[in-house]
Amino acid sequence: MSGSRRVDEKRRNLLKAGVFAAGISFIGVSRSTLMSMLKPVSLSEVLGVPPRRETEETLARKAEWKEERIKEWCSRKVEEICREYGEGSEECAEARRRCEAVKVKATPARQGVAFAMALDVNKCIGCRRCAYACVMENNVARNNGIEWIKVLEAPREGEAIDFLHAKLDYTDAPKEDMVYVPVACMHCENPPCVMACPVRATWREPDGIVVVDYERCIGCRYCMTACPYGARHFNWGVPEPSVLELNPNMHILGNVPRQVHVVEKCTWCIHRTRDGGIPACVEVCPVGARVFGDLNDPESPIRRVLEEYGAFVLKPEAGTRPRFFYFFGPARTPAAKEGGGEK
Amino acid sequence: MSVGEVVETVKYVVREGLRGGRAYYGLLLGLLVMAVYGVYVWVGVQHAPIFLRSEQGGLVLTGMSDSVPWGLYISFFVFWVGVAAAGIMFALGAYVFNHPGFRKIAVLGEVQAVAALIVVLLLIIADMGRPLRAMVLMPLLPNFPRSMLGWDFVVITGYLVINLVGYLYTVGRYREDRSLSARFLVPFVIVAAPIAIGIHTVTAFISQALTARPYWNTALLAPRYVATAFASGPALLLLVLLLAERSVKGFRVDWDVYRKTIFVTTGALIVGLYFTFSEVQELLWYTTEPFKKAQLEVLLLGRAAAWLSLLFWLWIALGVAAVILALIPSVRSTRGGVAFIALLTVIAVIGEKTLTIVLPSYIPDSLGQIRPYTPTPVEIVVTIGIHAIGFLIYAILAKPAIRAIMTHYKGASH
Repeated sequence: MSGSRRVDEKRRNLLKAGVFAAGISFIGVSRSTLMSMLKPVSLSEVLGVPPRRETEETLARKAEWKEERIKEWCSRKVEEICREYGEGSEECAEARRRCEAVKVKATPARQGVAFAMALDVNKCIGCRRCAYACVMENNVARNNGIEWIKVLEAPREGEAIDFLHAKLDYTDAPKEDMVYVPVACMHCENPPCVMACPVRATWREPDGIVVVDYERCIGCRYCMTACPYGARHFNWGVPEPSVLELNPNMHILGNVPRQVHVVEKCTWCIHRTRDGGIPACVEVCPVGARVFGDLNDPESPIRRVLEEYGAFVLKPEAGTRPRFFYFFGPARTPAAKEGGGEK
Repeated sequence: MSVGEVVETVKYVVREGLRGGRAYYGLLLGLLVMAVYGVYVWVGVQHAPIFLRSEQGGLVLTGMSDSVPWGLYISFFVFWVGVAAAGIMFALGAYVFNHPGFRKIAVLGEVQAVAALIVVLLLIIADMGRPLRAMVLMPLLPNFPRSMLGWDFVVITGYLVINLVGYLYTVGRYREDRSLSARFLVPFVIVAAPIAIGIHTVTAFISQALTARPYWNTALLAPRYVATAFASGPALLLLVLLLAERSVKGFRVDWDVYRKTIFVTTGALIVGLYFTFSEVQELLWYTTEPFKKAQLEVLLLGRAAAWLSLLFWLWIALGVAAVILALIPSVRSTRGGVAFIALLTVIAVIGEKTLTIVLPSYIPDSLGQIRPYTPTPVEIVVTIGIHAIGFLIYAILAKPAIRAIMTHYKGASH
């Protein structure tokens, strides 16, 4: 009995081995047939660059849906404000005006555009007007203490020129011996945050803007851990944007009011720049330290300054290839003292 | 095993797990109260904006900030992944080296792995800002080969399933006094062993490849995680075995299991201490990356967070003490001595692998700013609640396992 079973088993194993070998030789012999059967996939699609990209239609639909919800929310707020300040008050009218003007866009990236920004470290006076304008422009909730632009103050000379000796909480500027380095999202060509996100809630758009899908973010904060520039911010509490200061010009991937427990970051004012404008920080800068434009356009201001002055990036060793450049312009603001050694 | 047998085994586990004396019920009740309170604080306070649409609350109630985005939850997540991974040591002793003493208790290693993995998953969920979205999106693995969190999700859930299968199979066989079949054990060990190492390796890979965090940016991180996991995990199981021997009448563990396990935990501790030594040399001896050095100084010298450095020195002190005690034959040859060494080992590794391995990479943060972190009561209560759930599951799964072992081994020494 047991003897015949063993023979049976042997035969079965032999058959199995035969089938297995045939399978291998099939792959070996008719590889071209197999290739024609299987659909070729580009490796970069599986492993590399193209992230989850919304099609234009789905994004537009999402923007419409979001606009309705924002209007619902803000008309509720308008009623509250009008009850509080009185129907004929200026506040009531202002809130109503802003609420009615709300428009959520889904402007797609233009073909062949590669946005970049540069900042003249010699000019920056550390006034932080950019950080303030950014908060106002992008409907950043005032109660969560988020600022997309951080301005570091570091000594201009000596051994202490590094992040560890830089200060964020300085109270008066400019100081003669200090240099000011505004830092926000670098819109890296090789963004670690996009790599880290487990659900593809953040990605790099074709024009180089790194965006976050607030409806998809799961709030794991891995991207914040991965970002070498501290550019990502989390809504730790329920954001409470003020309708009286609401910016009605919105983009679905940019300054729509955020929800609790999602990550947000600078989008280079996607709602302005996609329509041909410049970011609010560039516009507001009193000394014109910021330059923004399309790297592919030879006439753009960004190309001019990069070609004329050369560019630096923060933490090049991080391997992120930032699209935010720093340069040293021709004149120092405020001007250095006589014989101060400044060229 | 057929479906019917699995159902019968599950029934057996529930029945036996919920049967016991007054002390056992007291333990379960105490853990349940802590668990319920922890879940309440999570649902009703910390995640109130998500679950109750409240305007108050949110993760703002934790000590975390944009500078320190991961805190207590992720710290203990790392520790328990290690404990779960080390469950495999008992399976290896039992099924690869065929040690009869280990064969008897190997199923308890699976119990420990299951309980630890549930703690791990709950800690992640508690930390997640949008847990409901995560539950929908994570299983789809939208960014799978690239995001290490996707890998972590795969290996942790995979290892949980493997251990549950191993547990149900072993209890199902033992309770009918049948021995385990090699046709199950061989594939089980072949699959489980690499994944066990894999869960902790991937946990380290989450952090070690980030250029943003110099403190983690060392290829020694994954080996260090695995090394100290093999100290804390088996040491915890030794404590459980000693407790079981005292509280379950007629349950004996082969002395050789204690002896051999202490060898393993001591070896692992020595390797772990050596790795720490090597990292400190890299950072402090000559000159190195200033960021990395600043972060290590926070850890070693207690700048910005004194208690953090206290935890670190606890690791060194208790780790060295445990190694020395384990080298003394008169200490390691008594049950009390083994218990003491195991306890020291567990506390030492909590010192090494919880907050001390997560926080220094955020202090100073990536812009060089120091924003200290201290866990808030909300975080602590939720963490305790999650651990209570873990220990509850541990107790409820371990009890039927011990009963099944005793059925199979008839209460003899083995």
